[in-house]
Formats: sequence, structure tokens, C-alpha cells
Amino acid sequence: MSILQVTNASFSYEQHLEKIFEDISFEVGQGEIFCLLGPNGCGKSTLLDNILGVNHLQQGKIRVMGRDTRTLKSGEIARYIAYVPQSHERTFPYQVIDIVKMGRAAYTGRFSSPSAEDKEIAKEALDLVGLRHLRHRPYTQLSGGEGQLVMIARALAQKTPVIVMDEPTAHLDFKHEMVVMETIVKLVKNTDLTVVMATHFPNHTFYLENNGIKTTVALMHNKHFLEVGNPTKVLNEHNMRTLYNVNTKLMTCPLDTSTVLKQLVPVSTLNGIKEEERNAYVR
Amino acid sequence: MRKRIIYILLIIAPLLCVFATLFVGRYPLSLALVVKTLWGQIALVNYDIPDMYQTLVWDIRMPRAILGAMVGGCLAVSGASFQGLFRNPLVSSGILGVSSGAGFGAALAIILFQGNTSAIYIFAFAFALLAVLLSYLIGRVYNTTPTITLVLGGVVVSSIFSALISFAKYVADPYQDLPAIVFWLMGSLATARYHDILVAGIPMSIGIAGLLAIRWRINVLSMGDREAHSLGVNLAVDKGIVIVCASLATAGAVCVSGIIGWVGLVIPHICRMIVGNDNRVLIPASLSLGACFLVLVDNVGRIITGSEMPLGILTALIGGPFFVWLLKKTKGGSW
Repeated sequence: MSILQVTNASFSYEQHLEKIFEDISFEVGQGEIFCLLGPNGCGKSTLLDNILGVNHLQQGKIRVMGRDTRTLKSGEIARYIAYVPQSHERTFPYQVIDIVKMGRAAYTGRFSSPSAEDKEIAKEALDLVGLRHLRHRPYTQLSGGEGQLVMIARALAQKTPVIVMDEPTAHLDFKHEMVVMETIVKLVKNTDLTVVMATHFPNHTFYLENNGIKTTVALMHNKHFLEVGNPTKVLNEHNMRTLYNVNTKLMTCPLDTSTVLKQLVPVSTLNGIKEEERNAYVR
Repeated sequence: MRKRIIYILLIIAPLLCVFATLFVGRYPLSLALVVKTLWGQIALVNYDIPDMYQTLVWDIRMPRAILGAMVGGCLAVSGASFQGLFRNPLVSSGILGVSSGAGFGAALAIILFQGNTSAIYIFAFAFALLAVLLSYLIGRVYNTTPTITLVLGGVVVSSIFSALISFAKYVADPYQDLPAIVFWLMGSLATARYHDILVAGIPMSIGIAGLLAIRWRINVLSMGDREAHSLGVNLAVDKGIVIVCASLATAGAVCVSGIIGWVGLVIPHICRMIVGNDNRVLIPASLSLGACFLVLVDNVGRIITGSEMPLGILTALIGGPFFVWLLKKTKGGSW
């Protein structure tokens, strides 16, 4: 069953302005991850904004669990779709648990505050990302990776079927990039969550696929999807050249008996170095 | 348990400050006398207290202390709410132009109506709200009000009204109106009467009640527009409630007390160092500490010199060093 369904979606900020994306359609089923890939400024975040209801489509429909998001109030959308931001600007040093409790806003009246039950839900969410021990720390003192896990915990506390992530591993170090990816895999496997995420790392989608999650990649190019499909099919040297103007090599090596590790390695930008030099380099 | 103790302290502290005020002034009163005067009035018992003490306690010191507590509480709570809403620790209760709007309204009333107090209140209040409305309209783009344009709107409106205040001072009669304007702008509780408390108390109470009720939502709003929306907040409504309530509270306060700076900026920060950043505790704490602070500062102003020292001067002179001391002691809290 498809949880999230986008049909013929078009958007521009004003009627007369150029469209950011046009006539985009896709579906995501339960327990699947949908990855948006494309260069900076191609409209990934704008598409995510439309799914979140921050902006509204000019044409087309977005349905979540069969309901048109246009007809839902912000409090209702927040019970279907949660959001993990790309970079969260930390202003006030709230305690970690207070941040996660904010995930319960959609279930809490305007003039009341989270109940004891909400607090339990928040603690469980922290358990899922393994940060319960930090719950009383000011979240401004956490590292970038821990901060991102707190954002994921907050989204989990929202108890939604869908989580939208905007480049969840941006600005993270080598280890924490992995920690966040492992957390996502664990969550999708254990809770049947549906994830829509924008990413700048094609290799992450291989990672998800290798971990047995149904992963779909959409390459966003010139307002449309260039190609949609599983990572192995879509992520090839030809498409990378079209999408990013980057020459790549697809490297593979067997990881164990059943899985093959795949990596797209960038070699040069298309107009960066001369053809012969590049060939020499690759050789 | 610890939470309950904090809440009890927050309620008792301002009451104690108000009570202490009854003893302070040029005529020292004994504890027995004050208690008798209070009880006599409340329980309608006749203790044969001279009229002078009766007036001193009930009609001069009491209304002044109550008004001081209300004004201080309002300014601090509005400041804390705006800091959360605008995600900016440097914002104060006057950010949307309330103070300068009120200042201009008062100056205008002083010039036009020769300092009629009712006219000053009404004009100050009306112009305070007008200033907020203008800031809001300026900040409004594409049918939404992004935080940054709202703050910019407030800055623009504030500076326009400040210029108008200067203009009013420039054209005012230098022997009568000008000193009145200058004194009003420095803030004072000297004219406090029960009547003022009742009238200005209405917007102040509405504002405070609204902000206390919505205080947890201010946490969520402080996550920024996009995140607050995705967490399920109706931005237009919730932001609107915070702005309207904080503006009512501030406008009600400044229209009777004049412009008292500092309280709306720094009391919330002092509270952050003591109780943390969660607005569920921070807002009530600001209400309480703001009330205590202004009442105590007003007492100092009444006793340190022969003539009264304007409040706006003292709040900064006393609050500043205190803030620095606390900053050093708590190592800046969690900042």
C-alpha cells in the first residue's frame, strides 16, 4: 500500500515566476525509503516543503494515507508527517528531553503542555536513537551528530507513519554520518517507518539497499525526475554525468557472500580536466 | 517536589516585596502599626489608627507597590515571550515598538492636554498598540510574517516613533511640557492610584493570562517557523496570540509607568540562569522576579535621595551590576 502519493505536482513561488518543479509523480510504500538526489538548488527542499505543507502546490496533489494534505490543518499533517531538518539552529539551551517533547505538540492543546504520557513517549523515542542518558543535558552542548539524533528522536515522538529528512547527514563527521545512517536503517526495519529524504550522497542509497531496505532513488533534474528506480539501476556513470556534470566510476567489491559493496567515486568535473589527462588518471 | 517549592516561592516572593514596601519611605512605620492598619481595613476592626497612617499605607504605598509588581511582571513576561518567539535572546518587550509608540502618545497628550493623566494613559496605550500594528503590517510579506521581517518592522517603527518623540520635545513648551515629557520617558510609579491599577490592569491581566496559558507553545515556536509548522503548530494563530498578549501587557504597563527599560530584557535572562530555558517555568519565574525587582528598585528610588529617583535610571543602575554578578556566578548558565 502506498503511504505517500504525489501526483502531477508543480510548484512556483508566484504564479508568474518560473516553476521550481513540474509534473512530478511518485509513490512511497510502507517501510520504504525514497531518496531525492540532485544538485544544489534543483528543488529538493522545495519539494519536501510541499510535502510538509509549508508551501502549497500550484497543480497536482499530495496524499498521505489517502488524505489530501491540502485539506489537512498543520496540526493534522503533523500526525502523518514528521520532519528532520537539515541544519537546526540552536538558540536556547533547552534540555534534550524538552526538545523531544516538542514532538508531542500536535497531540497537545494550544493552551496546555505535554502530559506524563507524552514524557514517556519522548523517553522511548530517545531510547530508539540511543540517547536516553543525555536527556537532561542542554542540547546546545551536544555534538552535531548527537544533535541530529535528537532531531530524529523528536520526529519519532510525533508517532507519524512518514518522516521527511532534509539531508540528515549534512555537516556530520565520518563516524556520525554512519551512526545516523545506521539509526535510520534500524528504525525503518523495526518500526516500518516510511522515509522520504533528500541527500547529496549517492552512496548512502547503496548503503540502504545493501541493508535490505526497499530504496527508491529519484534523480531531480531540470524540474523533472530524470529517472526513478532502485539505486543499482539508477545510479550509473551516465546519469551522474547528466545530473552533476561529474565523471564517476562505479566501484564494486564483495562485502560477504551475499552482498556487493557499491560506491560511486567522483573522478573529475566534466569540464575540469582534459580528456586524455582524465583517462590517464583513471587508468 | 522541587518543582512545587519553586512555584510556591514564585508566588510568595512578590507578596513579600509588596508587604515590605509598606514600611519603606520618609515616614518609617512599625510592624505592629502596618499590620494593624492592614487588618483594620480588611476585617473592619477599628484600632484607632490616625488617618495619616491609614492614607500612607492604603492609599499611597499599597497601590504603588501593587502597580510596581504588575508593571515589572508584565515587562519581564513580555520580554521572555518575545525572546522565545523571535528566537533572539537580545529582544526585549519593546521590540515591536510598544515603548516608543507609548512614549510618543504620552508626549502628544502632554502637549495637547497639558498633562491630563487620563489623556496620557489613553494616548500612550493607543499609540503603543498602533506601533505594534504598524510593525506587524510592515513585517507581513506573502501573507505570512517571517520573524526577521517582523523584527525589522519593529526596529523601523521604533526609530520613527523615537524621532517623533524628539520632535515633540523640540516643539514642546520648554518650561512646562518638556520637563513633563522627559520625566515621563524616564518612568515612574509616583502617580499610582487604585483607579490606574483597575484600568491598566485589564490589558495587563489579559496579556499575562494569555502568555501563561500558551507558554509551552512558545517553546515550540522558538524552533523556527518551518519546524514549528511541521510539529503541528498553526503559526498564524499562535504567533498572533503571543504578539497580541505581549503587546497588551506591555502597553498596559508603560501607559501608567512610563518607559522602564532593562526589565523586559534582562529579568528573563536572570530567570534563565536560575530555572532554565523551558518557558513552562521561565514565564512564571519572569512574572515573579520582574514583579519583585521593580518593587524593590522603586523602594530604593524612594529612599536613596531626598527627591525621587526616576525608575528607568535605577533599573539599569541596580540591575546591571546584579546581572554581571549572576553571569559570573552561574558561568552564564548553559549558554
